[in-house]
Amino acid sequence: MANPATTAPTAAKLPPWAMLGAIFGVVSAASILTWGPIGVSGTYPRFVGAVLRRIVPDMAHANPYLEKMGSLIKPETFLVIGLLIGGFLASRLGGPAATNEAVHTGETTTGKRYRDAFIGGVLIVFGARIAGGCTSGHIISGITQLSVSGLIFAAGVFATGILTAKMLHKGGR
Amino acid sequence: MTLFYALLVGVAMGALIQRVRASSPAMIAQNLRLENLVVIKFMAMTIAVGMILAYLLSLITPMHFDIKPTYVVGVLVGGLVFGVGFGLGGYCPGTCVVGAGEGRKDALFALLGGVVGAFLFTLAFSSFIAPLNKLMDYGKITLADVLHLPAVGVALGLGAIFLGVVYLLPTEVKQR
Repeated sequence: MANPATTAPTAAKLPPWAMLGAIFGVVSAASILTWGPIGVSGTYPRFVGAVLRRIVPDMAHANPYLEKMGSLIKPETFLVIGLLIGGFLASRLGGPAATNEAVHTGETTTGKRYRDAFIGGVLIVFGARIAGGCTSGHIISGITQLSVSGLIFAAGVFATGILTAKMLHKGGR
Repeated sequence: MTLFYALLVGVAMGALIQRVRASSPAMIAQNLRLENLVVIKFMAMTIAVGMILAYLLSLITPMHFDIKPTYVVGVLVGGLVFGVGFGLGGYCPGTCVVGAGEGRKDALFALLGGVVGAFLFTLAFSSFIAPLNKLMDYGKITLADVLHLPAVGVALGLGAIFLGVVYLLPTEVKQR
């Protein structure tokens, strides 16, 4: 089967990833036009803040970071809800199947896949909050806006990301 | 109205991420192992089109630009920590939400991990992170500021470079 992704992009017939990327570029510019640049990771601490304010209000109000991030009534929260809906709709309306395959050679059981996803989840949000943004806020929106921070963040992400993915796959466990 | 626009942007973004398979952690791992560059080229395409369009639009209408501060040490350390988690789990904070919408079970573990990571971060912020992020803080600077050139020109130039790199890079890399 000829893979359309390997054919050279031309104005007449772009490969699917190029078409999707171009549409995403238009969406990202439209976002800056209508409300602001896209960003996801700040919603995680805002969600933690909303939960803690309900169950341990004293602790929540004493935490300077939670106070700084503020409430969940923010455009970014609605963006994240949109991601959930968009993923659901696109997969139901004939998108690629969501398979649960191993990501590295070491993930020999489903439990190990869940473990890696969980630890990965901790690290990506912790790292993103140190830097003040994630793939969407720093890399997509950041570099789109020509910000120097986005370029530095991307360099860091790909340095350890490539190293980690390669090491986990070749070594096996 | 702002919240509604953000929701629409989120739905479109989620659908695009799902269609390009960026919400598949196996696909992300292939990209990070440099076996398949679909997601990396998709991102570069997004950035190129976005920057050219956003800065051209800024000539005719006010834009809601929001530049993040460049505190070099914190941004780099954060990126390095993020990369380890990205390589290990195959998810980023947005793609695990898309994956959860698709019905991926491991995405729920990544989401849960993200909430735990955010909680741990709020505990570490005052003592470790805030001092770290004061180091080499250059504020909200852009490439246009650094190069002392008009932003539109830099956006057109860098956008063209990104498009050129996307055109020249192979999509699938033959393994030895």
